Amino acid sequence: MSEAYTHETAIISEGSNSYDRVLDGAIAISILAFATALLALIEIVPLDATGGELGSFLLSLFAAVSGAVGLTAVASWANVVPVTSQRVRGIAVSLVVTAGLLTAIAYAAAVNLATIFGLVLVVEALVIIGAGISSRLAIVDTEPDSSAGLLAGGAFAAVGLVVGGALGGSVVGFDSVLWLLTALVAGGGLGMVTILPREDIGSTLPVGLVVGTLGVAIATAAIGVGWQWNPETLSGGFTGGAVIPLFVLFGTLLSAWSAAKCRAGFGAQGREYGAFFVINLNALLMVSVMIAIVLFVAVKGAAYAIHGFSAGALTILVVLTPALALATEIARSPSGTGDWHPGAATLFRLTPLAATGAVAAVLTTVLVTGQALRYPFTYLIQVNRESEPLETAITITPEPAVGAVMLTLVGALMFVVLFRRYGSLRNVGATFPRAETVRQAVPAAVATVVLLLGAFVVVGSSPAGVPLGTTLGTAVVGAGGLAAVGLTALPVAGVLTRDGPLADRLQASAPLFTVGIFGALGLSIAVLFLQPTAGVAPSVLGVDIVPAAAVLAGLLCAVAAGAASYGARTTDESLQTRLLGEETVLGLTGAAGFVTLLGAHVLATGARFSVLGTAITTEGTFSWPMLMQAYIPLGAEPGGIMPAVVGTVWLVIGASLFALPLGVGAAVFLTEYAEQGRFTAVVEIATNALWSTPSIVFGLFGAAFLIPRLGGNESLLAGMLVLGFMLLPLVLITSRESILAVPDEYRDASAALGVSRWETIRSVVLPAAMPGVITGGILGIGRIAGETAPLILVLGSTLNATEPVKVLQGFRFVAQPPFIVNDQLLAASASLPTQVWAVIAAGVSGSPQMGWATAAILLSVVLTFYGLGITARTYFRRKLNYE
Amino acid sequence: MLQQVWADAQQTLFGSDGTDGSKLAVGASAATLLATVFAFLFMPGLSFPVLAGFLVVTAVGWVTYQGAIARLLTLIATILTVLTVLLITVFLFVRAVPAFTEHGPGLLLVPVKNGDPRWFFWLESVLPTSETFWNPSGGAYSLIPAIWATVIVTLVAGAVAIPLGLFGALFIAEVASDGLREIIKPGVEVLAGIPSIVYGFIGFQVLNGFVQESFLDDGASFMIAGIVVGIMALPTIVSVGEDALSSVPDAMGDGAIAMGATEWQTMKSISIPAAFSGISAAVILGLGRAIGETMAVAAIMAAGVGLANPLFDFFDASATLTSLIAVNYGSASESTLEVLFVAGVMLFVIVAGMSVVSQYIEQRMKEKLKGQA
Repeated sequence: MSEAYTHETAIISEGSNSYDRVLDGAIAISILAFATALLALIEIVPLDATGGELGSFLLSLFAAVSGAVGLTAVASWANVVPVTSQRVRGIAVSLVVTAGLLTAIAYAAAVNLATIFGLVLVVEALVIIGAGISSRLAIVDTEPDSSAGLLAGGAFAAVGLVVGGALGGSVVGFDSVLWLLTALVAGGGLGMVTILPREDIGSTLPVGLVVGTLGVAIATAAIGVGWQWNPETLSGGFTGGAVIPLFVLFGTLLSAWSAAKCRAGFGAQGREYGAFFVINLNALLMVSVMIAIVLFVAVKGAAYAIHGFSAGALTILVVLTPALALATEIARSPSGTGDWHPGAATLFRLTPLAATGAVAAVLTTVLVTGQALRYPFTYLIQVNRESEPLETAITITPEPAVGAVMLTLVGALMFVVLFRRYGSLRNVGATFPRAETVRQAVPAAVATVVLLLGAFVVVGSSPAGVPLGTTLGTAVVGAGGLAAVGLTALPVAGVLTRDGPLADRLQASAPLFTVGIFGALGLSIAVLFLQPTAGVAPSVLGVDIVPAAAVLAGLLCAVAAGAASYGARTTDESLQTRLLGEETVLGLTGAAGFVTLLGAHVLATGARFSVLGTAITTEGTFSWPMLMQAYIPLGAEPGGIMPAVVGTVWLVIGASLFALPLGVGAAVFLTEYAEQGRFTAVVEIATNALWSTPSIVFGLFGAAFLIPRLGGNESLLAGMLVLGFMLLPLVLITSRESILAVPDEYRDASAALGVSRWETIRSVVLPAAMPGVITGGILGIGRIAGETAPLILVLGSTLNATEPVKVLQGFRFVAQPPFIVNDQLLAASASLPTQVWAVIAAGVSGSPQMGWATAAILLSVVLTFYGLGITARTYFRRKLNYE
Repeated sequence: MLQQVWADAQQTLFGSDGTDGSKLAVGASAATLLATVFAFLFMPGLSFPVLAGFLVVTAVGWVTYQGAIARLLTLIATILTVLTVLLITVFLFVRAVPAFTEHGPGLLLVPVKNGDPRWFFWLESVLPTSETFWNPSGGAYSLIPAIWATVIVTLVAGAVAIPLGLFGALFIAEVASDGLREIIKPGVEVLAGIPSIVYGFIGFQVLNGFVQESFLDDGASFMIAGIVVGIMALPTIVSVGEDALSSVPDAMGDGAIAMGATEWQTMKSISIPAAFSGISAAVILGLGRAIGETMAVAAIMAAGVGLANPLFDFFDASATLTSLIAVNYGSASESTLEVLFVAGVMLFVIVAGMSVVSQYIEQRMKEKLKGQA
């Protein structure tokens, strides 16, 4: 839609009169009643609540409304989000007033919620009819059309048919033909009342009649809370508890529409206001359904899912490092738009950084005081239809240890991030003849170590009984470690030995930074690989050399980074500041690299390493039983679903390995090589059709075609392939779309430079199309990760699996064809979605809590994929638009 | 003729500008791949070594004639994709044939009650009738109840999803501000991403109890399954409908607004009519999703097979075509399996057909709008 007509509020800006105020009130009370009826439908508030119970509910509703309106009013008053529309203001004020009024009624009169609903509907009917009549009598200034229109007439005729039919049916019964007659009369009547009179009567009187009828029926308890209607012809029936909220939802929606129409003075403006009101309410409803589903599953599953969760404070601190980097990045980025007050924008940008600091401080306190943070809680689980309370706690332990896996992962992530941020320090600083020598010596040393490594791999660590590994290996490892520390000491030494201001000294030492840090990293990596091949882990006085060297080198890097960062503050020259910033990043990169090496060393040797009371261990201090344990038969604690998690991970990997190359390859051929004609069109239609094919059909195919050819058992491999078949069409469709979207100018320009077709595709077309391919791939993977129907036919999952599949360990080489086998791929596996299904299929013996927790984890996995995909798309789109 | 085919094949395989060397590389790679396929089909044990041979040959070719090999690889990917599609289609039909020939119209038995065949849209006079209509051990396989269950669930789902979905599409395409659209559109996508088994679990755990209390039902019913499936089909309708509405050229709306029409009038009289075929495609696709939905239905409704009585009793319950397959496949005998394949073929044909129809409609709309823009 064009922007030409977006400011409808500007047209009506005169002050409001009592007619407007009453109608704003009617709209407001419709919204309130709509929301309350939704809550009553899902039984958050009982329909027969009276007195205090009802009062306290309405009071909290009043508080919520006041808070919402109040904050908005303050924001509007402070010009943060100015609200100029008279209608919005009127509705906001009326919301507070009517909520207060309802609360007062609940406390004052002994009526239940159902009766209040009925009265609200009656009042609304009266207001709307009154508004229509006053418009007809020209008491207020409106611009009605000559008729409400056929569309509205048809809609009301349909409503009349249903209401009349239901009324007639319940009074005279469905056996006689009379109910049909009443239905026809009511429908026809309402339709006539809508179409024949002028618009102001035609769009209020029928609404008033319908809403009034519903209201009277509810208010007089003709349809009360205990009301039941159980027609013999149906297997089920209707109760007041369900029907009243539904009636109220319908009635309030109808009256909100009509009141909005009256409020805008009928005519074209009135219709627009009414229609937009309904459309907006509907959107609100959709969003709340979505949020409700996600929240509901999360809340239901949370207690079981985090049972026994514990983590060391140090571990969390390590994990917090990337978060710190991200928070810094957010804080550094300029604020997006000028709409905001700059101060407020800065505040929001700094919040993540501050939050990180707060969490880090709390964790440090835990570490220093040695007092664990413990949040104990109790929840109910269902065991053989009986609820049993289960006590558990989330703990943050003060144990000064961190797992090697976690450390390596975080270190590697930080190294990559920092290294990408590091630009270049080439041709900066003074020339050091010796540094040049070192620059040439380090690669030679690394090459020597690698040669030695290769020799050990070929001949073993002790060829012909000569203990070369223990002697030569130990010496080289020791020397390498010392050399690494020496190299990282170079920048610091360079700074200390020179004269002049700190910033100048730092700038002059730039070559020492690059040589020292990169040289030390290279040498350490080589030494790290040498260790296992030589079969040694040399130590001095009980301290392992390699990790000790890594710690020292890392510290020296950090010191260098700190010095550079401090030096940057002492200078005003912008070029120097920038160069010293590069040095800081380089120092941090080195520190991250050595942390990674430290973790990798512990992982490789399996020996814990402790320094200053802090330990790096193979068994981390992070424990999440739900994800990291398998089911424990007859255990006191509920076990986890680790086999299902592992199974889902492998399914996703396998399906992606199958579908991504095939899909992208086929998309490239179809778009770039094949002639665009009938063949490509047919393939496109066929893939689209395959994409909407029910998933169970894929399962049927997999079970009948793949399983007999893959060993005859339900297996992980069959699951991977079936999910791959499902993923294939989506990858193909999205890749093809994004390749087609690459402008032909790109291809022409490349061809004009004499670049071959394939080179053009590889260097021009695919990079340009990559965002779309990646987004489509991620969204597709998210979809198949939650797919269940085909898996229950081909995967062979069982509830309570105790062993995860070990695909990597499953590969074996055998002497006869096919030479390579993997029993684990051909074995049944668990997976998250089939785990939920197994709980359902187990009926009474299934544990609902485990089902909820599994569903919550599955949901978070799938939503993470979707979140990633959507974020990637937004990111690429922004990049495309701003560059 | 044969020469023509050979020339075409060469053209497809080597492209138009192949040199002798590249032809050799591509030819060797393709030949080893063919050998792999043959090995897989006839001597499965040998397929891995031959595959390794293919990989080596291709790697050598990649180094020497990268362009030609890359083209070959994408061609192979295309052929494999097309083969997959064909394989699935053909295999389903082939597996369903025995049941068709064995039971014929017996797959559409109309249940008999109190001595009279049940009324089923006057089809009961044409189709065979029987007292027992689903009894795998007795050889009675009627798909009529499952088909009808699918129809009712889809009707209820449509009643939920179509109005909500269309209003939602209107909201996103025409009403929402840019900022709001940035939030709601991904929100709808996320709604589409919620796995069906999660919906099913909610239905199984919560909604069934709610229905028992509020609708005096025994629990699982068409109504609750239909509502859940409707919510699941909602995102499809919203996003496809929104695409259709957004593809109406701005110039058309601007013209209306320049004439003094309100936004709602523009929407009602310009956007919706122009995008009408796209919107109907959205509805068709959404209903296709509803028909094909399996896990939510299987989790909510019991596995029993029965024709709703009376026909439009949406408080009744029965397995649908999809849940029939899901629930029965594991324990089915050979002859039941064949019948399940018939159900699969029905689903495949119906849903794929709906997809093709909706694609056709969308295509036509795009062409029409292009002509007017």
